[in-house]
Amino acid sequence: MSLLDKRIVLVTGKGGVGKTTVTAALGVAAAAAGRRTLIAEIGGARRIHALFGAPESTYKIAPLTKNLSSLSITADEAIEDYVLQQIRVRALFQLVFRNRVMGPFIDAVPGLHDLVQLGKVFDLSRQTKRGSLEWDLLLIDAPATGHGLTMLASPLSMMELTGRGPFYENARLVHDVFMDPARTALALVSLPEEMPVNETLDLFARLGPYQRQVQLIALNELHPEPFGALDLWEQARDSFEASPAVAEALRLTDRAVARARRQRLARERLTGLGGAPLRELPFLFRRDLREADLLGLGRRLLGATT
Amino acid sequence: MSATRLYICCGSGGVGKTTTSAAFALQLAMSGQRVAVLTIDPARRLADSLAVGPLGNEPQSVPLERLNPAPGGQLDAMMLDMKATFDDVVRRFAPDAESRDRILQNRYYRFVSTRLAGSHEYMAMERIFALYESGQYDAVVLDTPPTRHALEFLKAPERMSNLMDEGVMHWLSLPRDSFGFRALERGSEAVVSVLKRLIGGETIEEIAEFFHVFQGMWSGFRERSGLVRALLRGPNTRFLLVTTPAPAARAEAQEFVQLLRRDGLPFGGFFVNRVLPAPTTNQALSAELLPDRPAAIPQADWAEICAGVRQATVNQARLAGSEAPALAELRREAGDAPLWTLPEQDTDVHSLDALAAVSALLAPAVAQLSRR
Repeated sequence: MSLLDKRIVLVTGKGGVGKTTVTAALGVAAAAAGRRTLIAEIGGARRIHALFGAPESTYKIAPLTKNLSSLSITADEAIEDYVLQQIRVRALFQLVFRNRVMGPFIDAVPGLHDLVQLGKVFDLSRQTKRGSLEWDLLLIDAPATGHGLTMLASPLSMMELTGRGPFYENARLVHDVFMDPARTALALVSLPEEMPVNETLDLFARLGPYQRQVQLIALNELHPEPFGALDLWEQARDSFEASPAVAEALRLTDRAVARARRQRLARERLTGLGGAPLRELPFLFRRDLREADLLGLGRRLLGATT
Repeated sequence: MSATRLYICCGSGGVGKTTTSAAFALQLAMSGQRVAVLTIDPARRLADSLAVGPLGNEPQSVPLERLNPAPGGQLDAMMLDMKATFDDVVRRFAPDAESRDRILQNRYYRFVSTRLAGSHEYMAMERIFALYESGQYDAVVLDTPPTRHALEFLKAPERMSNLMDEGVMHWLSLPRDSFGFRALERGSEAVVSVLKRLIGGETIEEIAEFFHVFQGMWSGFRERSGLVRALLRGPNTRFLLVTTPAPAARAEAQEFVQLLRRDGLPFGGFFVNRVLPAPTTNQALSAELLPDRPAAIPQADWAEICAGVRQATVNQARLAGSEAPALAELRREAGDAPLWTLPEQDTDVHSLDALAAVSALLAPAVAQLSRR
């Protein structure tokens, strides 16, 4: 079953590994495959729109390209949204939420910020338009590792905290969807270096019951290898004369060989993790990725070989 | 005795902040100072490289005598233990044993002490302040919790103290009438009923109980956060941003500097990690400089290897060049403030010796920051 057949894909990984790029690339590829796709940026992040030259994302869904839209969710807006749905009386909402103690109180309920944001994604995933689902696929550009995990576990935290009651019931609905491998998939993004791979393995271990959801490991920013026969390098190196120009080339080749070895090791360590496919993305020299670049990356993520 | 200097290393996740903080602390110790470094969640390898066991709230002495030459200073490392720190705070400020135990056993407190937004940062500040107050150190280095943005660390304590201030504490902790809450201000009852509907009556009661008991600790808490805030703005504190030449770095640096300025927090400079050194030439190595093929290496592999060696400078120049715009932007953001670049390391830091090698690169930064 392809990643594109899920309802929700949550992209997470260590900070700086390229979660946003991976999310956008998956979005473009899904849209190109005809899926009506929505990207949700969490925690007020606003980076996706820039990749498409679109106006800055807000809480209101805006189109990026054909079949692809995005929004940026903040906890405050999600809370307002949620509460309005629950009490359905704007005047009462105004009364309660314009109360000066409300802000700090909301901050004081552990996990609430995370939960309402997941809840918003959950709502969007069920939203219908003219009798059918409005979105085939929701992609979440989730916060970095530690926080991403806390966010995923936030429905469960809320269930523990409340024990029962209306909030418990709502948290359970969200929990059920995010726990279900048939509907929700996790994509873990990593870099081909030791520490990020350690962190990915560690994250996977800490995922516990959510491990079944991991259905993509993206290894980002792979550099081309200087040559294939890395094992022969030390032997080959010995035959060079040490003039200054040669010395610099040798030193830089040492670096390139060391990096290629680290990349191979990273690939080896991540292969087969959770039975999820490992997809590799090349390091791109350009800073301004275009839609065509994203489509290329997205197709690789979905398993195309070129 | 001169006052303890405080260095707060901020930065988003994945920039090498923890390693840079540790290397910076080590370099301070190399210069003869007594140093403490507080890290949030170091990878095991870093704890290994500091040559200490599993790090906890208590300072562990890093065995600097293993280095050659052994430096004159001293380095203690510790890792923030959220729960233990919060428990300490409760013990310190609780007016009596009963309140203390009621808080420590409250179910909501157990959530607050580990999961409340901003509590990590608040507790890091708390630990830093205790280290500062102890007078045992010339310098204290804080590796801030990993966040998407460097700035979240700066905002979090404010959120926490808003909570600890008036607001909800005052309101939820007032003596309760038979309905559970006193109608303090217009609308309070409506507020409570909405909250109960949303979250559940029992949970609200538990939270109220927590705040009720917490009330007795309030003034101590508030006084303490006032002192911490003053310390952060004081002449002995410097905020440092650890970053990389990544495309997003510029926006972050810009915001960071603006926020520091707005809040009157002292800016120390930027550390730019993982900068690729530019080669001396961007031309391929002349084919004439290639040796004859050693007999043991097959012809096809040899051809590939030679092509790789010839292109090494070209590739490196291309890589270094792709970073140049980001570096130039960072320099512009830094303005008059210092910016130190650190070259990309070939391997992760695995040992105290490896950490010492990285830390040697920070000698100019330590010299410049100590001169002020």
